[in-house]
Amino acid sequence: MSANNDNPQSLKDEIAELERRLQDAKSRLGHSVSITAQATPPSDAALHALLLLSDSALPLGSFAFSSGLESYLAHHKHSPPSASQLPSFHTFLRLSLSTLASTALPYVLEAYRNPGGIETLDNDFDASTPCTVARRASIAQGRALLAVWDRSFRAQHSNARTQAGISSGINRAQGDSAIEALASFSTSLRTSGDINAHLAPLWGLITRVLSVPLHDSAYLFLFSHARTVISAAVRASVMGPYQAQAVLASGELQNRIRTLVEEGWDKRVEDAGQSVPVMDLWVGRHEKLYSRIFNS
Amino acid sequence: MSFKSPFAPSTSKPGQGSIVVALLPPNTPVLRNVEYQYPLKLVAPNPLPSPVSPPVPEHAAEQGARGPTTPSLIHTVFLLTYGGGIVAGDSIDLNISLESRTRLVLLTQGSTKIFKTPNPSIVSRQHMTVKLAVDSALVYLPDPVQPFAQTAFSQSQIYNLEDGQGSLCACDWVTSGRSARGENWDIYEYRSRNEVWALSPDFDGNSKKKLLLRDNLILDKTGQTNMALSERMDGHSVFGTLIIRGPMFADLQKFFLGEFEALPRIGGRNWGDQVQMELNRGEQWRIDRQQREKSDGLVWSAANVRGFVLVKFASREVEGSRNWLRDMVREEGSLVRGFGERSILCLK
Repeated sequence: MSANNDNPQSLKDEIAELERRLQDAKSRLGHSVSITAQATPPSDAALHALLLLSDSALPLGSFAFSSGLESYLAHHKHSPPSASQLPSFHTFLRLSLSTLASTALPYVLEAYRNPGGIETLDNDFDASTPCTVARRASIAQGRALLAVWDRSFRAQHSNARTQAGISSGINRAQGDSAIEALASFSTSLRTSGDINAHLAPLWGLITRVLSVPLHDSAYLFLFSHARTVISAAVRASVMGPYQAQAVLASGELQNRIRTLVEEGWDKRVEDAGQSVPVMDLWVGRHEKLYSRIFNS
Repeated sequence: MSFKSPFAPSTSKPGQGSIVVALLPPNTPVLRNVEYQYPLKLVAPNPLPSPVSPPVPEHAAEQGARGPTTPSLIHTVFLLTYGGGIVAGDSIDLNISLESRTRLVLLTQGSTKIFKTPNPSIVSRQHMTVKLAVDSALVYLPDPVQPFAQTAFSQSQIYNLEDGQGSLCACDWVTSGRSARGENWDIYEYRSRNEVWALSPDFDGNSKKKLLLRDNLILDKTGQTNMALSERMDGHSVFGTLIIRGPMFADLQKFFLGEFEALPRIGGRNWGDQVQMELNRGEQWRIDRQQREKSDGLVWSAANVRGFVLVKFASREVEGSRNWLRDMVREEGSLVRGFGERSILCLK
């Protein structure tokens, strides 16, 4: 020991070693602090909810709908049957996203911002959906989403709320109004004949209840639609599954969805409307197809 | 000291107009009020005697909605603008009111032309509000709107139905511009909104509004499609919506739905195993019409939603749609029987 103390070289070594450990410990401390700072419970819950909602099985039953793709392809049969349908698919995807953003997105945003108006929004969306096929698809998916909420998400959500206690009074009050709106909507769906339960307003309301940030909610709404259409294209043999993932992953799609959300951010529901009039015809004429693999 | 006019100040504003159809008991409808201001012009030709009573739908007859009280006259009003079109910055605001048991036919004389605007931000507007009382009926089958290249136009047609009653047959259609000059949806912006509201008095005597139908068409540069408007239109140069509602048009509703149901299946094939039956006149007409639809590149759909029948149509050329619409309405016949030959003037 004394020999060690007397040796200047070993002292220097020891100091260097201690300094390295101090540095290391400091950096570990800083790291763990920054992680805990990010991992506050609400944002974690929001992320979890976002992941739940982005499940490819959701909206439940969406695999049955092609949102007009099938009808579109039937209206655009190319002269050589072997010709690739890929270019027309890309056109369709663009038109379909544009239509969804101009007709449905304002309802998602408004239901999120104003949960109490859900019944009016549901009625107005129904009044603005001009064809039976599109209505059927939207209602089926809306009801499925409501069922998932009722049977799967709600129990966990109310547990989490009781545990969270009274820590954030204002947020709770806001969340409560959304939950009440959802509960009363769900009740009137069973009792009154006037409620339809369309997907768009319900999506806004449920993401609000689950505290998903509004922008993420809107983005996911459009993304889910793109994924549904792309997945329908795979099953309609327009493209292969790898190609489909590539389209879904593409920066082009990402950019398009982001800009559509930006464009629609301040659009009022009264100004929602059809930007691609021929889309109504394709979707409406789906019923007239000789053979169908989809419901819309 | 400024000169004070002895006359009451004018309350009318440019582009404003109003039409009131009232009922002179027992059954004579009169145009109580027809007012208009430049650039709007309303022309009301002599009313025609009501053609033979239209077939009364059974449920309407049961309600005692009509019968001996069928109005004896059908009034017609032409909506015109000076110069046959709307100049950039024009704003038209028309109010129409139909009292109970009256009928009105609204027409135009030729397509409504929308003239070039110097600046995309100058949007011309046309706004129409129609109030329909119980048992009144409106037929609005105008010529299509024809927005020229570099125009910005926004129109709205708001129908307020008292107690959600009243009969309505309204068409709204728009073309790609002056196709002879090569114009093909070269507009800056076009919007057309059709809304039908049910007005019902609540306990406080205020009227409560419920939206029954909203058909809103927005053609502008947004949407992130990276496609010109003409590309988005998929080769069609006219798009239209026909809104049909109410007991007066129940037969017309049924007819459109029936014909849509009877359309041949897309992608179906004739395997030659169907026995060729002797066709009656109606069936022959249907087959001929379907042939014409095919050669005119006309596609259409009909949907029964919320008490409406909503017909959407598009075709390669304007005339294709015009002929088709006339063909359908004529073949069914109740419109012409109830409102006279003049009601379909714009489809000729």
